[in-house]
Amino acid sequence: MAKLTSQQIKELADYFLAMAEAIGDYRIRNFHSLTKAQNDELSASSKQVLQFADELYTLAATLVLDDVQNSLSTIKQVTGEMKNTYQKLLQVQDALDIAGSAVTFCKAVVSLNPHSIIVATGGLIACLKAVH
Amino acid sequence: MNRLFFKNILLLFFLVTTLTGCVNLKYVSDFSSSSLKSIRNFEEIGYSFTMNCLENCQEEKVNNLSFIALECDCQANKSADSVTLIIYNAVKGYLDGLSNLSNNSLTNYKVNVVAKSLNQQDYKSLNIEKTHVDAWLNISNILFKAFTNKYRRSKIKEYVNAGNEPLKVLTGFLDFNLSENLSGKLNVQKQRLKDYYFDLTNDTTLSTFEKRNAAADYYNRINKIEDKQKELTTYSKILKKVAGGHQKLTDNLQRLNKDEVMEQLIQYSSDIQDLITEYNKIAK
Repeated sequence: MAKLTSQQIKELADYFLAMAEAIGDYRIRNFHSLTKAQNDELSASSKQVLQFADELYTLAATLVLDDVQNSLSTIKQVTGEMKNTYQKLLQVQDALDIAGSAVTFCKAVVSLNPHSIIVATGGLIACLKAVH
Repeated sequence: MNRLFFKNILLLFFLVTTLTGCVNLKYVSDFSSSSLKSIRNFEEIGYSFTMNCLENCQEEKVNNLSFIALECDCQANKSADSVTLIIYNAVKGYLDGLSNLSNNSLTNYKVNVVAKSLNQQDYKSLNIEKTHVDAWLNISNILFKAFTNKYRRSKIKEYVNAGNEPLKVLTGFLDFNLSENLSGKLNVQKQRLKDYYFDLTNDTTLSTFEKRNAAADYYNRINKIEDKQKELTTYSKILKKVAGGHQKLTDNLQRLNKDEVMEQLIQYSSDIQDLITEYNKIAK
């Protein structure tokens, strides 16, 4: 027998709920003409049918996982690729920053000024550290 | 004269390319960020399958005047919550990625970092005039934006195309779990209360005053449940609008320059904003 889908189980839950509502309405309309035993019987039936409906709604929500497996894996893959592209575009700024620091460093080396070399080296290292 | 004319044309071409890129992606960015914001209302719902289960369990104990601390078995409801959360996180992650990638500030690179490291004296020693460096800066800025925006546009098209079908399925099932299954459980709860309070108001051992109080209590509780259902219904409208807007975006990926398409995307963003307002009013 084929397995029921989440949608079919939810439809069953709707039917059970409608059945419980009908039992409840019947009891309200005929309360005074029914015996206590009949009232109790209808009340107990309504409770049971409502419990089935409640459990079926929960089951339908859980079974959804079977229906979304493929979509979940596709969207996760697309999201991962989007994040990679985003990171690549962010890294463009890092490359520009490194290039700027490298130019400053080269200038300092050419100038042979020890203080400038120390400052520029610090700048380049800081820039590289920020990227990694 | 000819060289100047050629330079101007070239500059105009880059300018147009860049501005067009910005405009296209701006609407994609607006749509995806308002979609993301609206989807996040899931975190404000403040109700779940597990909470519903615990409420029912406590209600039964109260009705039976039971003070024995029995465990409430809500394992199945916890599973339903975790499935719903998995779907929500996948949808949110996708919209978050799209919103980040389409944001124009992403490619607002500071290309003057290199030029800044050269001072006025360097220009002289290298035989470069400052005006040339400034001109290079302007051109490179335009080129950078044009290139990166073109890259972004092509990538976004690829992702939107690949993400459309799964997004439709996932928003559909998220909606199914909340506005049909969870709301269905609330309908069950309403019927249980109706049955219980009906018996209470027909209990001959209670005074009229007690029966009136019971009836008032019943209507208060029904109103509270219906407020939760309104929240779920509004969230359902948000999910449908987001899926609809994304479909529109996918259908028109090749014609994003068209005014008509942009207007439709603006309309979707605006409708989503209205739904967020509607949701917040109910949730208060």
